[in-house]
Amino acid sequence: MADIEQNSAPVRNPVTAHPPVRQMTAVQRFFLSNEFGLIVLIVLFTIIFASISPMFLSNFSLYAMGRTAAVNIMIGFSMMVVIVTGGLNLGVGAIGVCGAMFGGWLMQAAGLHWLPACFGALIVGALLGATNGVMIVKSGLHSFIITLATMSVMFGAMIFLTQAESFREISPAFSTLGRMKILAVLSPMLLTAIVIGVLLWLAFKFTTVGREILAAGANARAAELSGIRVGRMITYAHALSGVLAVVAGLMLVSRTGAAIPSMAGQLGQDWLLPAFLGPVLGGNLLTGGRISVLGTFLGAFLVTMLTTGLLLMQVGAFWVQTYLGLLLLIAVLLDLARRSYLARNKLV
Amino acid sequence: MSQFTFQAHAVTKTFPGVVALDKVNLSLTPGSVHALLGENGAGKSTLIKIMTGVHRHDAGHMEIDGTLFAPQSTREAIAAGVGVVHQERNVIPRFSVAENIFLETLSADPWKPINYPKLYRDAEHWLDLLEIDADPSTKVEDLPVAKIQLVEIAKALALKSRILMLDEPTASLTQHETERLFSIVKRLRDDGVSLVFVSHKLEEVQEICDQVTVLRDGRNACESQPLEGLGRQDIVRLMIGRTEQIPTWSQRDCRDRDVALELRGVATQAGHTDVSLSLHKGEVLGLYGLVGSGRTELAKAIIGADKVTGGEILVEGTPRNITSVADALHQNRIGYVSEDRKSEGLILMHSVLDNAGITVWRRLQNAIGAFTDRSVEKAVSPVVKKLEVRTPSLHQTIGNLSGGNQQKVSVAKWLAANVSILIIDEPTVGVDIKTKAYVHELIRDLADAGTSVLLITSDMPEMVTVADRILVMDEFQIRGEVINDRDYDRVSHEIMQHIHGSSEVAAE
Repeated sequence: MADIEQNSAPVRNPVTAHPPVRQMTAVQRFFLSNEFGLIVLIVLFTIIFASISPMFLSNFSLYAMGRTAAVNIMIGFSMMVVIVTGGLNLGVGAIGVCGAMFGGWLMQAAGLHWLPACFGALIVGALLGATNGVMIVKSGLHSFIITLATMSVMFGAMIFLTQAESFREISPAFSTLGRMKILAVLSPMLLTAIVIGVLLWLAFKFTTVGREILAAGANARAAELSGIRVGRMITYAHALSGVLAVVAGLMLVSRTGAAIPSMAGQLGQDWLLPAFLGPVLGGNLLTGGRISVLGTFLGAFLVTMLTTGLLLMQVGAFWVQTYLGLLLLIAVLLDLARRSYLARNKLV
Repeated sequence: MSQFTFQAHAVTKTFPGVVALDKVNLSLTPGSVHALLGENGAGKSTLIKIMTGVHRHDAGHMEIDGTLFAPQSTREAIAAGVGVVHQERNVIPRFSVAENIFLETLSADPWKPINYPKLYRDAEHWLDLLEIDADPSTKVEDLPVAKIQLVEIAKALALKSRILMLDEPTASLTQHETERLFSIVKRLRDDGVSLVFVSHKLEEVQEICDQVTVLRDGRNACESQPLEGLGRQDIVRLMIGRTEQIPTWSQRDCRDRDVALELRGVATQAGHTDVSLSLHKGEVLGLYGLVGSGRTELAKAIIGADKVTGGEILVEGTPRNITSVADALHQNRIGYVSEDRKSEGLILMHSVLDNAGITVWRRLQNAIGAFTDRSVEKAVSPVVKKLEVRTPSLHQTIGNLSGGNQQKVSVAKWLAANVSILIIDEPTVGVDIKTKAYVHELIRDLADAGTSVLLITSDMPEMVTVADRILVMDEFQIRGEVINDRDYDRVSHEIMQHIHGSSEVAAE
C-alpha cells in the first residue's frame, strides 16, 4: 500500500530522499548475474550427465552437441533482437526456412556458388523480416499478431513455390562445412555462432543503431521524444532477426546436405521453443530494453546440453519436450526470485 | 445531531517527503453546493481521495452526520454515502449504460445470474431522474461525452450518495450541456444532497456554488465561507496569493532581437486552429495555461511529435517542415523537456549516461556508426556536473535517483545536445523547493547565454519569476500577451483576466 501511495501522491515538493544504492565491484556484479547462474547450471549438468553416461564427454558427443547448439544459438539470437524491442517474432522458423530454401534453390536451380547463394538467402531473410517490421510500425499492432499472420503467409508461399520439394543438389563444399571437425570436437558452425555473438555484442554496445534499438525497446515514447526514429529501429531489428533466422536455416542445410521444407516442422514451429528458451533463460527482459547476448548464448547452450544428455540417458523424445518446458518455467521463476532479491537489497 | 452532513477537522496527510494536506477543515451543509478551489497540487485531489477511501489520513478526523468517518476502502466510503464523479472517465466503455450505473452492485453475488430486465428497469429510474435520453442497454462508448458524464452522476446517485463530489465535471462539456448539468445539480441540491464542485472555471463556480473552501499549498486559504460577497479577484487572490516567495529579477526585454522560432497561423491535429507566436533569441517566452488548454500539444507539434496540419513554422526565418523529433533535434536544434518525466522524458531502466547521452550518440558516431561510452561521458559529464546531478556514478540506473535529480538529467540531455531552442514543459512538477529555484536560475542562465526558451507552466509564481513575456493559452488558442514587469499581482491578475474572460472583470 505504501508504494501505491507514493506513486499516486500529488508530489509538489517531495524531499529528495531516496535509499542509498550500494555500489558493487564488477566481479560481485558478475556473481549475481543471470549469466553466472547459467554457467553454474552448465557445469552442474555436465558433471551429472558425465557421471551417468561416460558417452557424454566423448569427442563425438561434444562435437554433435556444439553443432546442434550453434543452430539453437542462432534461433535464440534471432528472437532476442526482436525481444529487446519489446516485441516478438513468431516467424523465426518460417523466415529461416524460406531463406534457406531460397539458398538451396540458388545452388541447385541457378547453379550458384555456395557463397553468393548464402548471401542471397540472407537478403531474403532481411527482406522478410523488414516486411514484418514495416507492417508492425505502420499498423501499430503488436508484433505477435503480425508475425503470427506473416508466418503462415510466408510458409504457405514457400510451399507453393517449391511444390514442397527439397533441394538436394547442395554444393559439396557447403555441406562439408556442416561435417567438418576442427581439433576433433569443434564444428565450424559453433565457431560461426560465436563470431556472430561477438558481432552482436559489439553492435548493441557500441553502435548508434544498436543503442537506439535498446532505447526504443525500453521506452518507445521517451525514445521518440529524444530524437530516435523508433519505427525505423523496430524495422531494423526485425530485418536483423530475419537474417539471423536464415543463418540458422543455412546451418541446417549444411548439416543435412539438403534444403528441406519441413526442416523446422510445419510453419517452422519446431523452432519456437528454442527461440524463446535461449533469450528467456539468458535473462533478456520480455518487455524489452535490455540485452544479454552472452546470456542467450549460454541459455541456448544449456538447452542443447540438456536435450543431448536426456537423449543419451534414453529418455523418450516426448519427455525431453516436457523437461524443456519445465526448465523454462523453473528458469523464469528463479530469475524472478533473483530480481526481487536484488531489488530488496538495493543492489541494482 | 450536527447541522453538517460532513465535517473534516484538521485533516493532515503526509506522503514521503511532502505534506499534501496540513490541518485542513471542510464542512458541508445539506442542500448546498460547495466549491473546492485551489491551484494544481494545492491538495484538492488528495482531500477527495481521503474522503472516498483511496488514501488514509494521518491526523485529524472526519465526521458524517456527527459520527466518525474513516473509510478504509472505496467500498466503505460508498457505503457511507460518499460518491465522486471523477475528472477522468470512470466508466467501462464496452458495458451498457445500465451495467455501468450498477457496476458496484453487479458483482454482489458472483454466482447469481444478472437479471437484465430488472437491471434495465432500475436504470430507467435514474435516467428519468437525470433526464438522460438514452436506452439502458446502449453501450456507453456509443454515447456522446456529455451523456457519459451524466451516466457517471447517475452511477454515483444510484449508490445513494448523499455527498456527491464533482471533479471538473464541465471540462469536456459545451455551454448548453453545462447548463443542463447545472439544472440537475440545483435539483439535487434542493433534494438535500451535499455537493462538492471542483473547477478551474470561476464563472461557473460563482453561478452554481453557495459556499467555498480554498486550498493553497495543502492548507486552508479559506474555510467553508459563503461565496456571497466574494468577488472574482478575492477568490483568485486566495488561490494564488503568495507574492512573498518570488525573487525579483530585473525585467528582460528581447523583443528587438532576431526571431529564433516563429509560428504563423499553425493548425494541428490536436486541435489548434490558428496559433501565431515568435520566440526571440535569448528570450524566455512563457506559455501559461491550465491543464488541457493545449500547451503541451502545441509543443509536441512544434517538435514534430504531433501533426501540424496548417500554417508555417519558421526556424531562424526559414520555413521548416519538422516531421519527427529527430528532425527537430538534428536539423533545427530544437529540444523538448517533457512534463512527464517518467514516461516521456527518461528511460528509467537505463543509466544516467545513456539518458543524458541519448541526444549526442549520432553526433559522436564514427564512419561505421559506432561510438564509445567514453566519448559520450566526455560530452555529458560537464553538463551533469554543471547541473549538480547527484548520482554515485554515471552508470547508475536513473530510476534509482530522486525526482529532482531525474529532472536535472532530463534537462541535461538537451544541454548536452547543445540545442539553440529549448521548450521546457512544467519543469518543476514534483521537485523540491531548492531544485525548483535551481531550475529557475538555470533557465535564466541559458537565456542569458543565448538559448531561446519556451517555458510552459501553470505555476503562476514560476511564470512571473522566470518569463520575459507571457502568452496565455486557453482552449487551444492564444488569448493574450502579457509583458512581465515582475509585478506579481498585476501580471497574475492580467493572466487570469485573459483566461476567465475579460468582460466581467472590466465591468468591476
